[in-house]
Amino acid sequence: MPDLTQRLDRAFNPKTVAVVGDKRAMGYMWLHSMKAFTGKLYSVQIDPAEIPGIEALEVPNYASLAEIPDDIDYVICAVPRPVAARIIADCAKKNVGAVSLFTSGFAETETEEGIEAQRQVTEIARENDLLLIGPNCMGIHNRRLGVRHSPDQDHGDAGNVGFISQSGTHCINFSLIGATHGIKCSKTVSFGNAVLLDAPDYIDYLAQDAETDVIAIYIEGTRDGPRLLRSLKAAAARKPVVVWRGGTNTAGSRAVYSHTASLAAAPEVWSAAMRQAGVIETDDLDETIDAVKALVYCKPATGKRMGLVAMTGGQSVVITDAFEREGMDVPLLTPASYEKLASFFNIIGGSYRNPLDAGGTIGMGFVPGNLKKLFEILDDDENVDAIAMEVSGTFIARRLRDNPSMMDGLLDILSEQRERSAKPFLAVTHPSHVEDVMADVRRKLLDRGVAAFTSFHAAARALSRTTAYWARRDGA
Amino acid sequence: MAPPMVTLSEAIERARSEDRSVLTEIESKQILAAAGIPVAEATLATSADEAATAAAKAGFPAVLKIVSPDVTHKSDIGGVKVGLEDEAAVRAAYDDILTAVKEHQPKARIEGIAVQAMARAGTEVIAGMSKDPQFGPVLMFGLGGIFVEVLKDVSFRIVPLEDRDAREMIDEINGRAILDGVRGGEPADISALAGLLLKLSAFAEANPQVEELDLNPVFAYKDGCIAVDARIVVGETT
Repeated sequence: MPDLTQRLDRAFNPKTVAVVGDKRAMGYMWLHSMKAFTGKLYSVQIDPAEIPGIEALEVPNYASLAEIPDDIDYVICAVPRPVAARIIADCAKKNVGAVSLFTSGFAETETEEGIEAQRQVTEIARENDLLLIGPNCMGIHNRRLGVRHSPDQDHGDAGNVGFISQSGTHCINFSLIGATHGIKCSKTVSFGNAVLLDAPDYIDYLAQDAETDVIAIYIEGTRDGPRLLRSLKAAAARKPVVVWRGGTNTAGSRAVYSHTASLAAAPEVWSAAMRQAGVIETDDLDETIDAVKALVYCKPATGKRMGLVAMTGGQSVVITDAFEREGMDVPLLTPASYEKLASFFNIIGGSYRNPLDAGGTIGMGFVPGNLKKLFEILDDDENVDAIAMEVSGTFIARRLRDNPSMMDGLLDILSEQRERSAKPFLAVTHPSHVEDVMADVRRKLLDRGVAAFTSFHAAARALSRTTAYWARRDGA
Repeated sequence: MAPPMVTLSEAIERARSEDRSVLTEIESKQILAAAGIPVAEATLATSADEAATAAAKAGFPAVLKIVSPDVTHKSDIGGVKVGLEDEAAVRAAYDDILTAVKEHQPKARIEGIAVQAMARAGTEVIAGMSKDPQFGPVLMFGLGGIFVEVLKDVSFRIVPLEDRDAREMIDEINGRAILDGVRGGEPADISALAGLLLKLSAFAEANPQVEELDLNPVFAYKDGCIAVDARIVVGETT
C-alpha cells in the first residue's frame, strides 16, 4: 500500500466518526468517550431498545452506515461477533477511511469459530482494500481532536508522544497514567489481533508524523521480525522509540544441533534486535513512562557525568549509588567549581565534593540565592553533563508545606534551571511521609516543564537509557 | 591430491543422498573459505601415505581428524590427534584414529581423515548462526571454552549486520576485556573479528538453505583470526 501513510493520516485525524453498535450494557462507553470529538459524530444502531439512550446523548443515529449522509473517515465497530462481518462489508461499501473492530472473540479465543470469524472479516477487508484495525482492539486515540478510548482521557490540546499497543488496556493506561506524569499523547493506537495492519505499519506512520516527537510501543511478539526491526530502526533514526515487550517466548522444541541453537533463546534474541534497532527497551509501564518522561522533559545529552544534589548525607550516598548502578558517573568537579563552592557552602553537616550534600546550604529553597549559585556552578562545570536533585519531603514538610510563596519560589528556581541550562535536569521527589504533598509538588514541577521522578532509581535508569539512545544516535 | 572444491549446493545434494543434515568439516570449510571466511584449510586423506604427504605440504605440527557423516563429537572417541611433529607421527596417528573410531562406532561411514596444519593458539572465540522463529537468521558471538560452555557469555544480532552491529556485539560480551589481552597476552584483532561476523552475515543472507553454522573455535590473533573447526547444518528441504 504505497498510499498507506495518507490513508492512516485520514483515519488518525478524522473529520467524521461513526460508532456502530454502542449500547446501554457498555454504558455507551464509545459515545461518551467520543462526545469530546471535534468533528461530526454518528451512531449506527438498529436495536429500538438502544436508540432512546443514544438520542439522549444527542448523537444522530442511523440504521446503517449507508444511510449516513456523509463520508466517514473512521468507524468504531462494537457489534457482537456474528454481525461483525456484515458491518465490515458495509464499511467497504461506504468506502470509509478505516474501521477499528472493538469486537472480540476472534482468533485470540483459539477456538475454531473464532478463527473462522477472523478469517471472514480479514478476507472481506483484504478483498476490498479496507483499512481494518484489530480486531479485538481499542483502535485510534487522537487527543487534539478528542477521539478517545475513555471519557477520562484529556483532550483539546496537542500531545507529542505516540503510543502503539498490542493491548487495549496498556494503551489506555499509558495515556491515563502517563498524563499524571506529565506525558501528553499525540496519537495512540491499540491494534489487537493485527490481521491486516501490524505494528510496523503504525511505527512507520508515527515515525513520519510531525505531531509525534517520541514513540512508545507495547508489543508481545511479531510475525515478521525482520520487518519490525527495519521499521524500528528507521523510526529510531528519526525520533526516540521506547519498546516495552510483554510476555516471554518459550524456546521451540527444535532439535538442537549446536551451541548456537541451544543458546539462541528468544528473549536474548529479542533484546539483541532492540539494541540493533537503536531503541530503548523497557520491562513494564513504570519504566516506559519514566523513559518517555526523560525524553520529553530532559534536554538531549550524550554525557554520563552527573552533578548530584541531595539534602542530607544519607541521601547523597544513595542518590550516587542509584546513578552509578545505572552506569552513570559521578566525577569530581573542576578546581574552579570547588573554589566557588568554598566561598559559601556550609560544610557543617554538609560537603560538596559531588555529590553535594547541600541541605544546610540551600535549606531546600529556604536559601534561594544559594540554590541558584549552586546550579550555576554545576552548569558551568565542564566535568558535569547532567544534573539531578533530591526534592526532599522532610524539608518540604518542615519548611515549605505551609508557605506557598516560598514553595513557588523553589519551583521557580528549578524551572529556571531547566530552561536556562543545556544540561538535562532531573528532580527526584523521593518517597516521603507527606506523599500527598509530594504528589502535588511533582505535578507542579511537571507543569513547569521539570522532569520529576518518584525515586532515585527511576530517575537514574531513565536518564541512563535516554543518554545511551542519544549517544548511539549521535554516533551513527 | 587435493579434492576439488565443493559448492554448497553440491554438498547439500550429497548430504541429502546420505540422509544427513550436517556437512562434513572439509565440506563446511571449503564452502566458508569460498565465501571469504578465514578457516584452517583441511585436506582429505584416504591413506596414511596421503596423510603424511598432505601434512608435509601444510606444515608441521599437524592435526588429523576423522571425517565421517556419522561422527559428530570427534575427539570424544579418539577421532582427533594434534601436535604431530613429523611424517612418521602422522602415519601412526592415521592408523590410531581409524582403529579408535572403528572400535567405538563400528558402523560409522568413514570418508577418510582431514589433515591440516595446527593453528597457532590464539584467544579462543566462537561465532555461529542459528534461526529464530521470529527474526530468521541470528548471529552469535562469544568467548570460547568455558566462557561459552558454562558462563554462556555470548551476544546476538539479527542478519543482516552492519559494521556497527558487528562491533557492538563484540563489545557487548561480559568478558570483552579478555580480547584486549590478559597478563601481557596477545590482544585480539577486533577488526578481523568484526569482518568475520560481517562475512558470516552475508553468507547467511545469501544461503537460506543453511539452518545453522558453527565456527568453534576461532583463534583470534593480534593480526587476523582463523576458524579452526567449522560445521554447517542444512535444512531438510530446499
